[in-house]
Amino acid sequence: MCESKFLGYSGHRLLKPLIRKNGTLVEVPFKEALVKAAEVLAEADYPLLYGWSSTSCEATRVGIELAEEVGGVIDNTSTVCHGPSVLGIQDVGISSCTLGQIRHRADLVIYWGSNPWSAHPRHIERYTTLSEGKFERSEWRSYVTKTKAATARKKVESALRQVSPKKKFPIPSTPVERGPCPAILKAGRKLIVIDVRKTRTAEIADYFIQVEPNKDYELLQAFRALIRDQEIETDKVAGVPVEYLEDVSDAMIGCNFGVIFFGLGLTMSKGKSRNVDAALRLARDLNARTKFVIMPMRGHFNVSGADTVFLWQTGYPYAVDFSSGYPRYNPGETSAIDVLLRKESDAALVIGSDPVSNFPRKAAEHLVNNPLIAIDPHMNATSQMADIVFPSAFVGIETSGTAYRMDHVPLPLKKVVEPPRGVLPDEEILRRLLLEVRKVKKRKKAQAEVK
Amino acid sequence: MELLVKNGFVYDPLNGVNGEKMDIAVRDGKIVESVNERRARKINASGMAVMPGGVDIHTHIAGSEVNTGRLLRPEDHFRDFESKTSVTRAGVGRSIPSTFTTGYRYARMGYTTIMNPSMPPLEAKHTHEELNDTPMLDKASYPLLGNWWFVLEYLAQGKIKECARHIAWIMSSTKGYAIKIVNPGGLEAWGFGHNVKGLDDQVPYFCTTPREIIRGLCKANKLLNLPHTIHVHANNLGKPGNYTTTLETLKCVEDLATEDKPVIHLTHCQFSAFKGDDWRTLESGAEEIANYMNGHSHATMDMGQVIFTDTTTMTADGPFQYALYGLTGNKWVNHDVETETSGGIVPFRYHRKSYVHAVQWSIGLELALLIKDPWRIFMTTDHPNGGPFTSYPKIIAWLISKKAREASLKRINARARSRSLLPSMDRELSLYEIATVTRAGQARALGLKNKGHLGVGADADIAVYNVNPETTDISRKYRTVRRAFRRAAYTVKGGELVVKDGAILKHVDGHTMWLDVKVSEPARITGDMKRRFKDYWTVEYENYPVNEDHLKGLDPITVKARV
Amino acid sequence: MISLRPLKPFRFPVLAECINPDVFQGKTLNEIETLQVWEGNKQKKLGELFKIDEVKTENQPDNPAITLYGDVSKVRRIGLGMKSGEITLNGDAGMHLGEEMKGGNITVHGNTGGWTGSMMKAGTIEIFGSAGDYLGAPYRGSTEGMHGGRIVVHGNVGTEAGANMKKGIIKIYGSAGQFVGFRMHDGTIYVQGDCEGRAGACMVNGKIVVGGHLESVLPSFTIDGIRPKVKIEENEVAEGPLYVFLGDLVENGNGKLYVSKQKNPHLNSYEKFL
Repeated sequence: MCESKFLGYSGHRLLKPLIRKNGTLVEVPFKEALVKAAEVLAEADYPLLYGWSSTSCEATRVGIELAEEVGGVIDNTSTVCHGPSVLGIQDVGISSCTLGQIRHRADLVIYWGSNPWSAHPRHIERYTTLSEGKFERSEWRSYVTKTKAATARKKVESALRQVSPKKKFPIPSTPVERGPCPAILKAGRKLIVIDVRKTRTAEIADYFIQVEPNKDYELLQAFRALIRDQEIETDKVAGVPVEYLEDVSDAMIGCNFGVIFFGLGLTMSKGKSRNVDAALRLARDLNARTKFVIMPMRGHFNVSGADTVFLWQTGYPYAVDFSSGYPRYNPGETSAIDVLLRKESDAALVIGSDPVSNFPRKAAEHLVNNPLIAIDPHMNATSQMADIVFPSAFVGIETSGTAYRMDHVPLPLKKVVEPPRGVLPDEEILRRLLLEVRKVKKRKKAQAEVK
Repeated sequence: MELLVKNGFVYDPLNGVNGEKMDIAVRDGKIVESVNERRARKINASGMAVMPGGVDIHTHIAGSEVNTGRLLRPEDHFRDFESKTSVTRAGVGRSIPSTFTTGYRYARMGYTTIMNPSMPPLEAKHTHEELNDTPMLDKASYPLLGNWWFVLEYLAQGKIKECARHIAWIMSSTKGYAIKIVNPGGLEAWGFGHNVKGLDDQVPYFCTTPREIIRGLCKANKLLNLPHTIHVHANNLGKPGNYTTTLETLKCVEDLATEDKPVIHLTHCQFSAFKGDDWRTLESGAEEIANYMNGHSHATMDMGQVIFTDTTTMTADGPFQYALYGLTGNKWVNHDVETETSGGIVPFRYHRKSYVHAVQWSIGLELALLIKDPWRIFMTTDHPNGGPFTSYPKIIAWLISKKAREASLKRINARARSRSLLPSMDRELSLYEIATVTRAGQARALGLKNKGHLGVGADADIAVYNVNPETTDISRKYRTVRRAFRRAAYTVKGGELVVKDGAILKHVDGHTMWLDVKVSEPARITGDMKRRFKDYWTVEYENYPVNEDHLKGLDPITVKARV
Repeated sequence: MISLRPLKPFRFPVLAECINPDVFQGKTLNEIETLQVWEGNKQKKLGELFKIDEVKTENQPDNPAITLYGDVSKVRRIGLGMKSGEITLNGDAGMHLGEEMKGGNITVHGNTGGWTGSMMKAGTIEIFGSAGDYLGAPYRGSTEGMHGGRIVVHGNVGTEAGANMKKGIIKIYGSAGQFVGFRMHDGTIYVQGDCEGRAGACMVNGKIVVGGHLESVLPSFTIDGIRPKVKIEENEVAEGPLYVFLGDLVENGNGKLYVSKQKNPHLNSYEKFL
């Protein structure tokens, strides 16, 4: 991570608690914001507590206790990201491992619907093709050769364009690699990319398959059939000639240790959790022929942590509804966006995420049209539209905590600098909110008994 | 805070108390000689059996594997849940309960100490976070070391002392309690999808064998003076004919038992006591193993009893779990951990009418009844592998009552019944022996000085069960006994009354015990580890040891090693 | 006959598994009014949310029929686990209608939410409007599909209708979303209208009939022949000619997927394999 990004974290910083009065957000003392937020949550009939993926596990633990206390729905960003993967795992299971196993052993790496070059910049270097392992060497040499060749090609094209600017050179539409898959013939680590367009990662791959958009499921089922030595009747599946699929499935069967990393290309295209279901089954079926694992490429830095804490405390990974006194889980029914689209919630607390800027418009509207509490270090779209705002400290910079890597390995987050004065960590804010909510509820109960 | 448990029939095998009517006095969380009767809170235990709080030597209740198991079984949780009350947190149950529910359900049965037996060292922090959220109990966890690259490398070179020093480092770094060995060598082979078949099979890429690993770690354990022995899940688990591997495993450390103490604990022995060539010809190997155990005193074991119910299997034995997937076609999770170990999870249902499952059910009980010394065979189900821990009262009923066994035998697969040794076995355990196999024996095997007994100085963890030994014929009235152990009349934890009539009165946190092993040259080991970290793991050295921030209730036990 | 009318439009989810002929049986009107329901996170009495009346009918069955009037699309779990009796809804119903039903009839003059008839064992559900996703399908992580019974939908259905079905029949006169009959083990599903892709994915056995346009057939299915017609149930036959596909090969399945030849000219290319 470059220094300027790291040290520039303090831009657009929230420094004081805010409450919306007469349409504008004004600074207020912490206690005032706390009491108001507690009242909002304690009185709500169906509150939503959302986010959790950019905060520490310790904060999430308090969050769950709070959701249980107020009888609300607590959900994390899995619901918009790898929720479908979770659903797939719940039906199929998953053959997986920690990232080190891949570094040491994997000689076939497939990225499907995921572009780590842009989204997980250190992934390839640390864990896959360009890493050094006990049993497999790095492929950096072949990468360098490929990149040099690609750069040279681009220089030639650019020179040609300068020579005759008016002549239009046909811009090659992202071409599908024709020809047999060289990966099966190569020794050492092999990289295959499967995606709807040729991404930066695809450029350094040994083989690239361009799948027709929304046809990943068909491609996965085709692979599943091929690895069982079954025949495919059609000539093409998802726009890819079957001979090339046969080559790739030979590469899968012939490797020593293969891995599929998949991203939103699978979870968010047509089929969603069933796409992941098919991918999980493919990896599982391959274990009858060789060692094969599969792993989702998680997004937010601690969404794994949020899922993990939710699981051990409630038994479910996300979309947990406490309204009837015990945890209930049913994505589609108890997930944040669905609750918002059906206009069921009557208050919300958002922490460690920015739903107003990335939820479907109608969901964001409902969020904003009801009392909204935001806890965030920054001023963002959600905190701008909130009714009560709490400034919080950055986890991993201004406060310590635990986070979980995408392969569920727990890592400590360190405190490096002090937060600005008056700015508390998420965990502390939530703890005080929980205490205040209990006070409010006790008061209301006493009042009700008097009547 | 003073407490007096009055007039109960006390069973305290570690102190030789067998049903004597006596009072137990508690002050500030410890058992004391006496308290001021007028001032103390009194618990009326007349007509009831008083025992030390239950101790469970092997139960999978926390950590990455367990949590992935929770992920895998929403359909289980859907049907069994607990609502929030003013005293307790909400949660879900069945075979893999959520953490709060785990604590409450153990406490309701009078249990107060549990051991989580499988902790991948890289993910130790996760285990400890979950243990922190498991209330009502004191707990500890065993790091998985039988396939750790450092162990494999040092033992291949014969460097036992170096190996021991590194184990001391990892034990203290992961805040563990004992050396856990699962399918030694097999899990490393599973890294490429293979397994080992016997104690003298070569572990691929590492020039060592399971026999060398077990012996080496046994020696290291002695050098380090650890309170428990090596805790071993044998090779070839779940394979017909594996009882021979089990006997070889026990035999291979026979010569290392120099003092009059056990040197090996073989866990969930039922799964490793199969005779026969395949599933059709499967038979019980319990008799052979019991004969060996009766003739030697260097080993302890726990049952791993099967219960006829729907449950979830989860172990660090990756290849075994994959084989179970092959047998059942159920959903399957596999999780290999770099440099260290593996793991797998498969839901599983044991059917009474299945020949194989019925034989398995019989094996567990045969082991418990044929092995004469109750101090060396303990009651477990290897929760949740054989069944949920909430079925412990059922097993107690089978152990104390031939009638209870007969009632169950009637309903199982007929061929299994005709092969089972149970119909010919009359032995029935007494309450004293039950207290041994469910608490005193386990505490002694674990080397826990203040647990599993009610002598002065022990932790005040007490369970009172509503069964009157003077008026109840426990063999005939096994249902009464089962009910009594299902809902403790009183549970006292750390000197506080936390359960009454099976209901939680108070949510308390327990402690997590761990070993702070002191070796002679700690700094050198640290330097060595730092150098090798980049090559072996994908986390930084500084981030690997479990830091104490955000963990509460840690209870270090200092151990002085001989190396 | 007991009639229920919402006293106000519902905003929060209402969990009302007590609206069930087995639960109402033998109870007085007063007792019915005090049955517990959840509205959001508050526990309420049924009488606080519904106007409940007893309507005398000519024949008084032991098990009173229940009729609901008005929009109860936020009311979930109506008829959960019912063993006998009748429920009629004159309006839209919420999720989990008739979940785990063991007998009796539910009729809906309106639409229903997701998970209608989920894990049903017996009984019938007839929906005159459209049903949501997961019709008859099991809970997350479970493979307990429909074990029996009949579901008829006159309108359309969403995704995964009849997933994990083990026995029984589902008839859809409108169109169906993706993954009809996902992981089916047996039973019959008939979609008279159009079907989005991936019908019968991972099926092991059973029969799916698509009378309208099917977007595509999965590559793991193989053409088996052309039939002139196929039986749906007693007294109902789907007229062909119909392509018959066998699958799903990735599960070594023997399920049959019947697809109308006329409505699916894009599948003509399969004929060359016959």
